[in-house]
Amino acid sequence: MKKITIEHLARLEGNGGVTATIDGNVVTDVKFLVNEGPRLVERLTLGKTPEEDVNLVPRICAICTLSHKYAAIRAMEKALKVNVGPKVKLIRELMHLGEMVESHALHVFYLALPDYVGFPNAIAMASKFPFEVKIALEMKQYGNHIMKTVSGRYIHGENPVIGGFGKFPSRDELVWIKNRAIQFMPFVLKTVKLFAELPYPDVPESETLYACCHPPDKKYGIVGDEIILSNGDIIDVQDYKNLTNEFIVPHSFCKRSQYKGKPYSVGALARVNCLGERFEGEARKMYKKYFNARWTKNPLFNNAAQALELVYAFERIPGVVDEAVKLPDEPLVLYSQKDGKGAGAVEAPRGTLFHAYEVTKGLVSHTDIITPTAQNAEDIERYCYITAQKLLESGQEEKIKDRMDLVIRSFDPCISCSVHTVQVKRAPEEDWKTKIAALKTDVSPVIIGIGSPGHSDDAVGLELARRLRGQGVKEVWIEDEALEKSGAREADERRPLLFLDAVDFGERPGKITIMPLQHAAWNAVLSHRLLPLVTSQISFDQLKNSYILGIQPASLEDGEQISEPVRLAMEQILEQLKN
Amino acid sequence: MPDNKLKIGIYELTGCAGDALLIIDCEEELVNIFKAANIEAFLMAKSDNNDEVELDVALVEGSVSTEKELEELRKIRKRSKALIAIGICAGLGGMQSYFLDDKDWAKNLKAVYGGVEMIHAKALPSKPIGDFVKVDYFLPGCPIGKEQFLSTFARLLAGNPPELFRFPVCVECKWHENDCLLNKNILCLGPLTAAGCGSVCVNHNLPCVGCWGPSEEANRTAEYKLLLEKGYDPALIKNKMANFSGTSITQFFARLKGETK
Ligand code: SF4
Ligand code: SF4
Repeated sequence: MKKITIEHLARLEGNGGVTATIDGNVVTDVKFLVNEGPRLVERLTLGKTPEEDVNLVPRICAICTLSHKYAAIRAMEKALKVNVGPKVKLIRELMHLGEMVESHALHVFYLALPDYVGFPNAIAMASKFPFEVKIALEMKQYGNHIMKTVSGRYIHGENPVIGGFGKFPSRDELVWIKNRAIQFMPFVLKTVKLFAELPYPDVPESETLYACCHPPDKKYGIVGDEIILSNGDIIDVQDYKNLTNEFIVPHSFCKRSQYKGKPYSVGALARVNCLGERFEGEARKMYKKYFNARWTKNPLFNNAAQALELVYAFERIPGVVDEAVKLPDEPLVLYSQKDGKGAGAVEAPRGTLFHAYEVTKGLVSHTDIITPTAQNAEDIERYCYITAQKLLESGQEEKIKDRMDLVIRSFDPCISCSVHTVQVKRAPEEDWKTKIAALKTDVSPVIIGIGSPGHSDDAVGLELARRLRGQGVKEVWIEDEALEKSGAREADERRPLLFLDAVDFGERPGKITIMPLQHAAWNAVLSHRLLPLVTSQISFDQLKNSYILGIQPASLEDGEQISEPVRLAMEQILEQLKN
Repeated sequence: MPDNKLKIGIYELTGCAGDALLIIDCEEELVNIFKAANIEAFLMAKSDNNDEVELDVALVEGSVSTEKELEELRKIRKRSKALIAIGICAGLGGMQSYFLDDKDWAKNLKAVYGGVEMIHAKALPSKPIGDFVKVDYFLPGCPIGKEQFLSTFARLLAGNPPELFRFPVCVECKWHENDCLLNKNILCLGPLTAAGCGSVCVNHNLPCVGCWGPSEEANRTAEYKLLLEKGYDPALIKNKMANFSGTSITQFFARLKGETK
């Protein structure tokens, strides 16, 4: 068995990495790890005043500092019934656009582009793309400048508060920001061309669901009181839990999300997929010119989507300034409400960010924060899995490491994802035995035999289940029973399910491989019989806790005989599973 | 070719990456920083990081909150002549060190992650790096300030120790000719908070919330008394200070209490 590890990856939530495990011809596991320690932000904000909460939460991430502040303010204003005036809304939009410009410019030019033009990093790239590197730096500086002007500091500025701003930027400062935006435009348009025309490889391609904030008035935008999905579903931000359905995996301090049992993606590409038709002006022209079906299923196009959003931002900023300078500065909106409940969502550069609070007697009594990376983690794993498996199948194993890199980076988990080490390791033979032993330590798994009799080795799962029963092993199900009686579902939700089946991995006959069922669901080589069972009979919690133990068949032809190598494998499995 | 430039490493433990990002945000100066010293490791800025080399100075951001980080920190200390804590997470523990009592921390950890055991890293109650290794200097701030960072860096290049402000935010606030917020009955932590940020919040008509951590100046007792005279409840002041003071809050208030007797 082989292990590919990409360490030190996701700055958003701290240090992270990806590990892919390869057993022979099959990728048996992909894990997106977040290594950073727990900060318990949701707990330490309890008992604080709403203002203190708004001071603290931006410290979750320096790169999305203003998105955290803005999401927290939106949630608190909802909970405390604070309504701010039009100028406050405009200046908040400006700071939010500034953060997006800063983050996107850094990501597309410094982190993504070097990969595609064959340089190890941006500094090295400067020799061939001096102009791009220089302008990109200026763009990033410009984004930083907006953040500092509006929030007070480059990082963790405290000027945006519940009810408005401590101080508004001056007219001169705003006009400077507007004029500079106009100067950037020609270069921004070139950026879209550059990124939309990059030769993105097909391999991670796979349909997914996209989600983002649903801005009002049929406009493109980066905040909203609703969430829109690419399948047309609309969810009120107050009901955000219907989208995020969080759960915990034991390899990460960052929680995970799935919508109706499926992973979904958030970020620039999600926004362009859900809202692209709403672009106006140059952004619309560019969108019409470049958007196509590949953008709907290939995460690598996130770079192109970010470039499109740069056009949007640079076109929108002068408009925001024009409207804002016409309005008088608004005094802080004071409030007397001491109790309430509310959620707020904004689009951070890398995707939808939720903050939700309950305030009781003037103090925070409940906090829930869901970051974009938490929501993307499932899709990052899934796309990495698809990448690894497809490249393995087409004999391009040597490309897996770099391609997974590209995929992860396209999700823009955060800026130190530019730096990581990738390792390829052979893991021990017979890894399945270790995993089964580990599975059995907590509670014994429910065993489900799958197969069809009369197709030689395809009966192995059924045969195994029968023999285990014969040996007195309890909680063994056979495919049809599991289907009919909903046996699997009735089993204790916390117990792992272990499916036994013949699986064609293109391996030597009799080879035994174990993998999480979740991966099996994405894996085309696996038995199609399993899918209806998985989707109809198993709750999502169980899916996370289930495995498939596959045996490579020698033959699936008609016939009653199970082949010799598969028989030997059966004996080994019986030995491992009995008692 | 061997040169006599300082060897510097910049490391991140548990925090928000704000201090490392602030160094990157030094944009124009960043090129010169890289020229003037050998930056051997800086995860956020470069990929060819050397994790073996002996360092003249290690800059460490973030608190220790997993066993893995503790191990990493000890290794860094071993191969560095001087170690500087950058930011209040490294220096004081930061907001994540809010649960001072280990049992309380364990209870809260469980409330977030249920009983799920993390396989990759064992969590520890978050503590400042000085609880585990010797820290030679501490650059306060959340995040650190550009001016203090650059002046510290320049002094290091010249072989001098950092020189930080030993007065509270109030002094900077006076420099900026702000009206004192305490006169408007707004509780501002400026009198108790270390200076260095340029009193930026007060310049924006907002009270200081203490993000640079407690000030260590000699006069702090008088400052604290001033707040008490204004009628603020010591418990309220302590609660507000606790947000950014990490584990240092206990000693800070113990000393204040002793001094005000
Ligand atoms: S001190 Fe502040 S800026 Fe630095 S890592 Fe901690 S939270 Fe981030
Ligand atoms: S909270 Fe205080 S120390 Fe922090 S930036 Fe504001 S004024 Fe400065």
